[in-house]
Amino acid sequence: MPEIQLKHVVSCSTEDTAHKADNLLSSDTYRKWKAARSGEKQTSVILQLEKEEQVHSIDIGNEGSAFIEVLVGNSSAVRDQDYEVLLVTSSFMSPTESRNGTNMNRVRFFGPQQLQKTATQEKWDRVKIVCSQPYSKNIAYGLAFVKFHSPPDKNDPLPTTSPKLTKLGQFRVKEEPPSSAPSLQPGSLFFNRDHATKSTTSSKVSPQSPAPSSSLASPQPPAKRTFEFSKEQKSSSGPPPSKKSSPAISPEGKAAAPKPKPSPTGTPSSGTPKASPAQKSAEKNRESHSKPDPKPKQPKTSAQQVPFKRILEGVVFVLSGFQNPIRGDLREKAVDMGAKYRPDWTPDSTHLICAFANTPKYSQVKSAGGIIVRKEWVLDCHKKKQKITYKQYLMDGAESSSESEMEVDEQSEEEVSTKTPPKQQRQVTPKKTPEKKKDEDEYAGSTDVDEPGSGDDESAVDTEDELQRVEHESRQKKASSDVKVKQEDLFGGSTDENTDAEAEEDLPIPELPDFLRGKHFFLYGKFPNNERRLLLRYIVAFNGLIEDYMTEKVQFVVTSEGWHDSFEDALMENGNLNFVKPAWIYAINERQKILPYQPYSVVP
Amino acid sequence: MSKRKAPQESPNEGITDFLVELANYEKNVNRAIHKSNAYRKAASTISKYPNKIRNGEEAKKLEGVGAKISEKIDEFLQTGTLRKLEKIRTDDTSSSINFLTRVTGIGPAAARKFFEEGVKTLEDLKKIEHKLNHHQQIGLRYFEEFEKRIPRSEMEQMETFIHEELKKVDTEYIGTICGSYRRGAASSGDIDILLTHPDYTSETEKQPKLLHAVVEHFESIGFVTDNMSKGDTKYMGVSQLQKSNEDEEEYLHRRIDIRLIPKDQYYCGVLYFTGSDIFNKNMRTHALEKGFTLNEYTLRPVGVTGVAGEPLLVDSERDIFEYIHYKYKEPSERSQ
Repeated sequence: MPEIQLKHVVSCSTEDTAHKADNLLSSDTYRKWKAARSGEKQTSVILQLEKEEQVHSIDIGNEGSAFIEVLVGNSSAVRDQDYEVLLVTSSFMSPTESRNGTNMNRVRFFGPQQLQKTATQEKWDRVKIVCSQPYSKNIAYGLAFVKFHSPPDKNDPLPTTSPKLTKLGQFRVKEEPPSSAPSLQPGSLFFNRDHATKSTTSSKVSPQSPAPSSSLASPQPPAKRTFEFSKEQKSSSGPPPSKKSSPAISPEGKAAAPKPKPSPTGTPSSGTPKASPAQKSAEKNRESHSKPDPKPKQPKTSAQQVPFKRILEGVVFVLSGFQNPIRGDLREKAVDMGAKYRPDWTPDSTHLICAFANTPKYSQVKSAGGIIVRKEWVLDCHKKKQKITYKQYLMDGAESSSESEMEVDEQSEEEVSTKTPPKQQRQVTPKKTPEKKKDEDEYAGSTDVDEPGSGDDESAVDTEDELQRVEHESRQKKASSDVKVKQEDLFGGSTDENTDAEAEEDLPIPELPDFLRGKHFFLYGKFPNNERRLLLRYIVAFNGLIEDYMTEKVQFVVTSEGWHDSFEDALMENGNLNFVKPAWIYAINERQKILPYQPYSVVP
Repeated sequence: MSKRKAPQESPNEGITDFLVELANYEKNVNRAIHKSNAYRKAASTISKYPNKIRNGEEAKKLEGVGAKISEKIDEFLQTGTLRKLEKIRTDDTSSSINFLTRVTGIGPAAARKFFEEGVKTLEDLKKIEHKLNHHQQIGLRYFEEFEKRIPRSEMEQMETFIHEELKKVDTEYIGTICGSYRRGAASSGDIDILLTHPDYTSETEKQPKLLHAVVEHFESIGFVTDNMSKGDTKYMGVSQLQKSNEDEEEYLHRRIDIRLIPKDQYYCGVLYFTGSDIFNKNMRTHALEKGFTLNEYTLRPVGVTGVAGEPLLVDSERDIFEYIHYKYKEPSERSQ
């Protein structure tokens, strides 16, 4: 099985200054490719092969990715769709391992059985490797190495005769005898955590067992401080799920994780020297960090003389992530101030009051373009008996890296407060002492940055403000994109949606993707807030065409009102019509690629 | 899924009841499953709504309630009845078909066939018993008993009993009673057991022996009284708890299903069969949004071109939630 030579790197989504994608070309396996930033949702690299070849087997050494997919194509390939899947998305780290940063360097060998039949039979000269790590925001991940083999020559001696040594850092891993290769089924990697305790004889799994791979992992300790965070997060979201189910692996993980072996080349912070000052400043004084924000600060509370019962008039809110008694308390307070409650997000809802950033409702509302705030907004309004602008309580304000750090702080504070709700709650609400004042300042201080300039309270204007702010911030971020900090927020399942988009903005002039080229849209009915404008912008930005009227050209009807009877008639006229929710467009924007519309269909 | 859903308590019971009735009508008589689902979805959101609905306009704001349903709600609230429902109820066809489908083994299609042959009542069915298949005959024989819901206390008793007996066959069996019982329902329509054994995975051969050994054991101790169908992986039958000395009355015959599932697919199966079906739908939609595809067998990541990846290792229900970034919900929280 001759190894296929790699010629050059065609492109890669991002690369670390120390761990460049070019490293994949050399056979020194300790030189790896890592993304420039931690917390990217997906990274990919395209490699050019020396010549057109059939791919018979692949060896992949992981570097912190949870999933890896390998596609093949020809030099003419441009888009994702031009590539064919050779190795389906395969798992290299479980969510728990990802969060704890253990077993980051698994090696898997994929023989012809594991590869897609149709793709192995043709010749290709390009491969695209897509890595993703949705479970950890603080791993800059990529690949340790990748090797492709062409089919063995018929008169070649069997590869068993020369067991090849693979060099991995200081370790040498003996390739397993091919006789055992077919037993390596997808998922068997993790599966042996069950069997490892029982089966001492199963030599066929042993090369893949966590033991060698975790020893590979040890020179790569994860960020220590964030490890603490992840533990905290886990304990707050219930008992660690795999603890009992994987007795075999947990001691491994513990053994690997606390090993304080800082390898200077391993951590990206040393690779990007600018990172460490930024890190410190971010940790120590958030205020100073907030100063670069050019927008003028606004008084913390825009006091308005409104009767108590009408403080939150016009607010239609939904709660997420709160348990009683806090839930009941919040609802009562908000309703007392004139807000309306909805059990679930409805088109007329305006605010989501959210406990933490990864609830299902959070993502739903985020994609629907609603306003997401923390509970303090309601509590403070209630306490001060006046309408306070929600902006300083925004939950999704953390688009830039500096802010996302603060989110960690805030949220960990919140974590604490949700963990011991009775104490915190009681202390804050009834007492009207200077001490309490300090509390507020703390909150306000940490959120100041979120405040946009305008003092207007009209929600429509706010949304526009939001947009501008986000744009502004991403521009800002672009400028300082190399000042990157390893410890990005862990909790913000929230903030990561934008990272993809921002990654693309590394180009000097961001090109607008044309996911929706050739598609004709018609927006039907009313949209809450400023959604219509937003939708139009997205569709136009992605090169979609907007029809003012329900013409024959229309392929997609976007509506947030659910099924309407007239749709049936429209379908009679034009069978190609699809009725979709706005969430589709938002999802495309978030993922930065065209997505199937079916999951977002509006059905009767 | 049982044919008899537990009644729910909510301030809008009247509305949800007629919506469920319409849903059943659309499913059984018109066989319009999407219309049926639309009614059920509306019923589900309305049952969660905390306030008493005063008019259709109020209900229309809820998800799944559109113009037509809100019209019906208005009519119901104003007149106390629904003409459409009255018509359905008096309509011989629909009421008979609806009735026939209550017999286990008779679905919408068979019910329509029997109806067209002039079979409308239980008595009619008894006359043509020879025409019924084995499953339907048992459904007929135990019709009254199967109509009765199983109180939670009896389910709990059965659960302990089943776990004990499974251990006697082989200590490595894992069994879970799914369905609404697992979601904490006060009563259940039937018993739905998901069974697995470490020896059986999707990589191994089918192992019907594992299932049949359990069924035969249940038969030998008199817990299983009748068989309806016995496949390699799915068993359907009738069970009855043995009367003990303190009990005054005999236990009723109950419908029991046992499914043998490969170990690696077990927790996807448990999740799926615990439901509720609306919860399942939502969870799958969420999985898709996060780039995964979830079904009753596996959870797989979806690649950039939309090709599903390798099945992920799932060792508990929690693993599934964790993979797709979904807040873990206890079974009792899944009855939406």
